Amino acid sequence: MKCSLQAIRHDRDSFEALAYLHEQTRECFWDEVEIDMEATSWFDADMCAAIGALLYNLGENLNTVKLVNLPPSVEKILSKNGFLSHYGRVKIPDRWGTTISYQRFDVKDDRYFSGYIEGEFIQRSEMPTMSPRLLKKFRESIFEIFSNAVWHSRTKLGIFSCGQFFPSRSRLDFTVADLGVGIRQNVQDHVGSDLSPEEAIDWATKGNNTTKHGDVPGGLGLKLLCEFIDLNGGCLRIASDAGYWCRENGKTTLARLSHPFPGTVASVEINTADQNSYMLASELNAKDIF
Amino acid sequence: MNSVRISVFEVVGSPLCVASNDGQRVYERLAAAIQEGRSAVLSFHNVDTLTSAFLNAAIGQLYGKFSENDIRSLVQVEDMAPDDLVLVKRVVDTAKQYFKDPPRFDEVIRETMEDQDDGV
Repeated sequence: MKCSLQAIRHDRDSFEALAYLHEQTRECFWDEVEIDMEATSWFDADMCAAIGALLYNLGENLNTVKLVNLPPSVEKILSKNGFLSHYGRVKIPDRWGTTISYQRFDVKDDRYFSGYIEGEFIQRSEMPTMSPRLLKKFRESIFEIFSNAVWHSRTKLGIFSCGQFFPSRSRLDFTVADLGVGIRQNVQDHVGSDLSPEEAIDWATKGNNTTKHGDVPGGLGLKLLCEFIDLNGGCLRIASDAGYWCRENGKTTLARLSHPFPGTVASVEINTADQNSYMLASELNAKDIF
Repeated sequence: MNSVRISVFEVVGSPLCVASNDGQRVYERLAAAIQEGRSAVLSFHNVDTLTSAFLNAAIGQLYGKFSENDIRSLVQVEDMAPDDLVLVKRVVDTAKQYFKDPPRFDEVIRETMEDQDDGV
């Protein structure tokens, strides 16, 4: 099986391209899957999480994956973040420290994931100087995305993550992908409503909506994340099943992908130059919590 | 009756309180205290990162087992940053709603869709 890949950015077209890649290769088993990246003129490095999930899935079906004809600039960045180490290349040093390495985690690896985030964000001098509160909010956001993937994907194939810092734009991108059931299926199974894939994502991002049943309430994580993104001037994009959802500048955009992504991708972009203090209008007294 | 002091940092073993499983461990200690009618002080000293997933498990699910009055009279939180207090408050409010009024998902979905139709 041979297929090709276009430029990959954080946009709908790129999620379409990745979903199409999955569509083309979904029946492959014991095959050699060669992905020609000659036309991949740009690759937003954090999107390695999304393509990494797809390629891992191919490996699970005992396929051999080959990435060929990578433009030098793309090969360089994907070697720096360790992604190409999974496909026969050698990791090269990240001289400017702008990459956040590509990793796969098992769903029970919360603590390992925590260590990864600490190592990548807190202990690295190359990371942008963010205000302590912004850094705290950003870490919380990433953990919310990871927790969401753990809780809702029901995946056994793990959770994939990768990030990239763009100093010139004061942007930090971080993407988490899973190969789980997807938000639409989750809503259908637990809530019993047959929403479209994009409506299901939108539903999941509203406050108090949850697919969790039983003793532990839920339904706040994505809502909190959206609120932070709106304040920060960042962006949140989610692709799940054939749904695409984007929150930017306080506006939500929904779209349908031509083909489904086999799981969920959540990609968060934060404005690292944000000087908001994130202090709250009125401080709460601890005695008023319950 | 003596109150019990629960150090979240000690229970979790880390300043990162992000995993639901860790929240469950905190819940078990809190629930045991409330069950016995003992006051519990939940200290977040040295904790620097919290998620709603952790807090839902640690605190939110108390409202499924105990009354609001029992929780209010027996549980206190201490050593918490103001913005973390707000997060706890939101988790608590969500939990009260979740357990008080079993989620009327169809209605919520319909309202959500109507909002979209109205361009909200």
